[in-house]
Amino acid sequence: MLEDGITTQWGTVVALVIFIIATLWFGAAAQRAVSRGSFLKGYFLGNRGLGAWAIALTATVQSGGTFMGFPALVYSFGWVVAVWIAGYMVVPLTSLGVLGKRFAQLSRRTGAITVPDLLRERFDDSRVGLIGSLLILFFLTFTMVAQFKAGAAVMKIVFPLDAVFASAPVDEAAPVAAADSAAAAGTDAIDATSIETTITAAANATAETPEAAKPAPPVDYAFLVGLGTFTLIVVGYTMFGGFLASVWTDLFQSVLMLIGVVILVCIAVPAAGGLEAATRQAVAATGDGFVSGPGFIAPTAVSDDAPGPEQLESEQLVAEEQVALEQAHAPVRIFLPVSLAFSFFFTWVYGGMGSPAGMVRLMACNSTGTLRRSIVLLAAYNMLIYIPLIMICIAGRALMPNVQHPDEIIPRMAVQMTSQWTGGSLLAGLVLAAPFGAVMATVSSYLVVIASGIVRDIYQRFYDPHANEMTIKRLTYLSMLVVGAIAIATNINPPEFLQAIIVFCGAGQAAAFAVPGVMTAFWRRATAAGTIASMLAGSATVVGLYAVGWLPDGMMPAAFVQDEVLFTGGAFRPIYLFGIDPIVWGLLMSAVAGVAVSLATQPPRAEIISNLFDAEPEAEPAG
Amino acid sequence: MPPREEDALLRSARREAIVIVVLWAVALVYTVTYCALYGYDRTIDDMTFVFGFPDWVFWGVIFPWTLCTVFTWWFCNFFMGDEPLGDDSKVPDDFTDDF
Repeated sequence: MLEDGITTQWGTVVALVIFIIATLWFGAAAQRAVSRGSFLKGYFLGNRGLGAWAIALTATVQSGGTFMGFPALVYSFGWVVAVWIAGYMVVPLTSLGVLGKRFAQLSRRTGAITVPDLLRERFDDSRVGLIGSLLILFFLTFTMVAQFKAGAAVMKIVFPLDAVFASAPVDEAAPVAAADSAAAAGTDAIDATSIETTITAAANATAETPEAAKPAPPVDYAFLVGLGTFTLIVVGYTMFGGFLASVWTDLFQSVLMLIGVVILVCIAVPAAGGLEAATRQAVAATGDGFVSGPGFIAPTAVSDDAPGPEQLESEQLVAEEQVALEQAHAPVRIFLPVSLAFSFFFTWVYGGMGSPAGMVRLMACNSTGTLRRSIVLLAAYNMLIYIPLIMICIAGRALMPNVQHPDEIIPRMAVQMTSQWTGGSLLAGLVLAAPFGAVMATVSSYLVVIASGIVRDIYQRFYDPHANEMTIKRLTYLSMLVVGAIAIATNINPPEFLQAIIVFCGAGQAAAFAVPGVMTAFWRRATAAGTIASMLAGSATVVGLYAVGWLPDGMMPAAFVQDEVLFTGGAFRPIYLFGIDPIVWGLLMSAVAGVAVSLATQPPRAEIISNLFDAEPEAEPAG
Repeated sequence: MPPREEDALLRSARREAIVIVVLWAVALVYTVTYCALYGYDRTIDDMTFVFGFPDWVFWGVIFPWTLCTVFTWWFCNFFMGDEPLGDDSKVPDDFTDDF
């Protein structure tokens, strides 16, 4: 069986290599396309030529979370995650329809290339742009680290690196001590690429070993090689092709994801005997919480049967959490109370609307007709992705009840489901390309936004306005390399809480930019000071609630100590005031501050507003 | 200063934004209320299944999701207007331009 597993995985490697070559080809093609005309407008904005498919399938909040964090939640907590994600039913309209037209128009009228450009021109104040770019850099860099971890994790599953290290070294990093890595593969049973159910037993044995008696955790070479390869690929193609490379590969990957998910749902649900049978089987192994709100919680928080996705990866962390939980007299864990179900209708909707990476795509849209078509495409796409993903993971819980890393449920299902097929490994490769592609796409789009923030919004704006094109190019490449290096450095000891970090950054961005976005697009009376206040109040509220939540129990102000641990728990969790997610408070504070400060300050100059809100003199209004 | 007429795209964008926000609010209230009433603290024994989905998931999530998708199609094809986005020549390569 192990040998079967490896054979299967070599097949998937072929599919993945083809996929990666295609991606790099897009990078090269994009470079040729952007080499025409202005570097800035071409490299960072694709000459404003995005069509419907590109806008629909790349401007959204799909990320490593879509294919790893979200499936892990369904696998661990059950059907209630359908309510958690339900906000996506309106996301196509809210994320593209509310700001889309106006952002596309305003960015043309002002000549803006980046979101901070737009803010600056709209409010005629460079401080608005500067604060905007600093907030973008903060949240995007933070979330990038989590995305790189996801990318490396997928690489590790896809490529049989443990096998490589144990036998023939073929990878560039393979000369590292093979004995060490073999030991790593053996000791750390959780990281074995085998999907045998025996991993449960092995992991249990590992978990029972007293923490103190164990040697320092072995270096996970498979993860590191995965990380290095992933970084090289994604930074490489993004650097060469810029925004268009990011968009094209994103589009290509999104289509592959759709095909992969649709095929997988067609295999997985029948294999589990249908959805109802799968549900009953899963409930038998878990409890009624799996089919009902507020969601299934394993009897003990560190149970091997159903760990929350944040508790994995590091046994040491699990042990620390166990101690912490015992000290706190094991507070009640509730996954998704109604107050959080309510909150996530804000998270997805305003997270999409307030995402700077999404806003840039709106600015690059080529016409309103394109925007309309892209919203419809996205609506169809979301239904075909998210609902089948839920079905796959419910079937997954029935078929593979003891997966140690729920983050890996989709790739593992793909390998498992196709392992008996002739040529099935190529199909597995396709399905595996989905999470890999999602992560690459996200990282790539963030890289472009971060580089444009550093080069244009900070360097060019404040340091050297007349920098020549060669300087700008070099600086752009350099920023991407530095971000890649930082991501590798921080991931050598990978941070936990992939999904928690993504949720945090989504909430922070939304609270920082959703309200200012609406003010920019629709409110004549909005002022520069009001917009700055709105951005700062929103992001400070979210960051503050997370910061307080992160305090050790002893240091927590008594008023904030909560009896219940909501959502996935873990050390990185916010304070949920009244059970409501920080994003709702952040949006509220952002709106209050934006309106109050705008009204308290001098109205903006009528001439600027008129240029941006009234019909252009030469273009007669249509009616 | 002679008052200029409000931009046509702005007017249609505002009208569309209001409808979208109302849709969001309706979807939120319906889904959260329905699931809170019928989806919480149930047991598998009193659960029925619709197309394999637990009853509350189907009526609380899958059904409104389908309606929203149909609404989105209608909205984009029959409600949203098309307007020119304007001149795209104002892209300064440095900051010497006055715009």
